[in-house]
Amino acid sequence: MLNALWVVILGMVTIFAVLGILLLVMLALGKIFKPKAENKEG
Amino acid sequence: MGINLTDFLGFLNLSWQSLVMLAIGCVLLWLGIAKKVEPVLLVPIGMGCILANIPLGGVSEQGGFLAFLSEAGIHTEIFPLLIFIGVGAMIDFGPFLSQPYTILLGAAAQFGIFGTFFLAYLLGDGWLHILDFSLRDAASIGIIGSADGPTSIFVSTTLQSKYTAAIVVAAYSYMAMVPIIQPPIIKALTTKKEKMTKMPYITKIISQETKIVFPIITIIVVGLLCPKATALIGALMFGNLLRECGVVSSLSETAQNELANIVTILLGIAVGGMMIGTQFLRPETILVFVLGIIAFALDTAAGVLLGKLMYITSKGKVNPMIGACGISAFPMSSRVVQKLGLQFNPHNHLLMHAAGANTAGQIASVVAGGAMLMLIPLFS
Repeated sequence: MLNALWVVILGMVTIFAVLGILLLVMLALGKIFKPKAENKEG
Repeated sequence: MGINLTDFLGFLNLSWQSLVMLAIGCVLLWLGIAKKVEPVLLVPIGMGCILANIPLGGVSEQGGFLAFLSEAGIHTEIFPLLIFIGVGAMIDFGPFLSQPYTILLGAAAQFGIFGTFFLAYLLGDGWLHILDFSLRDAASIGIIGSADGPTSIFVSTTLQSKYTAAIVVAAYSYMAMVPIIQPPIIKALTTKKEKMTKMPYITKIISQETKIVFPIITIIVVGLLCPKATALIGALMFGNLLRECGVVSSLSETAQNELANIVTILLGIAVGGMMIGTQFLRPETILVFVLGIIAFALDTAAGVLLGKLMYITSKGKVNPMIGACGISAFPMSSRVVQKLGLQFNPHNHLLMHAAGANTAGQIASVVAGGAMLMLIPLFS
């Protein structure tokens, strides 16, 4: 039972950690490769 | 010379299980053809189910053509990966790239996978021993919550679950039922004020370089941090690179059309071929379907709850309903939220925000599958 609880905790931690790092990488990408045109509000 | 008719007349060998499965096959065909519920999958699955349950037909026995397809494409995990190349080529990650924060909604909405896994294990070998659910079976059942057919197939076959056929049918059926499953949960968890929150969409232009680098970076980041997800994320992002790189449009079109269609036919009929009465008709199968719907509900609730947190922290700028799109049922979930948004505020178009969360959910569900494959062997 405890092993299943560990899977739940570590599973969610893994997802947030991996996607959190991916988010930071994407924010960095946005800074490096800036679009040439202006952004518009729709 | 004595002739035993039962040796070559199928109907003399009909068991109640065969009859029930033939009926289920017909229902799946009816759902696909008459009701247009995921017809691309349910028609081949229904036909495979009928073929597999014709007594003495032998198509799902050793040497039979459905057994061969299952062995060659499902047990080797090739079919789900090939489908993912097609899926990757079909997805425009633009809305997600213009609102990267939605990746957190995708992450939260994977809670249904782990919550359902825990529940299934509790009912099985973990505590109550009511059902024959091992840790691996429970993980495979939980992955229905990825709302993603290829990931469900990949994880359940890798973990060698006894319930792969039921898991796949449940995953695809519930994806079609997202417009029925999600709205009551979203409505119950959000206030009227939250539902009416207007989110103006900034048409943020994403550079072509970003769109090309994104799939490559994603493979490297996810692969290095969660290696068991490499095959799935690799196939998905390879397909997306074909779409975005702009120099292989013929390959991109082939991946989106011919490849995806051919593999869908083979995968569907092979999955149907796994629905053999004596193995499929067990109390556990019904529970797999019940737990599957719980997984979808928990996913939706977790996504909306994180959306509510974002609503508070952003001082009312994020509509919590878009959190429900963190599940990867793309694009159904986005459409559900867009429709709900318009229902409560006729000028509120949430589609692009919802699509961002929805495509983020596609990546998150793959990572969740990889995490499950990484953790289960450690705790088995």
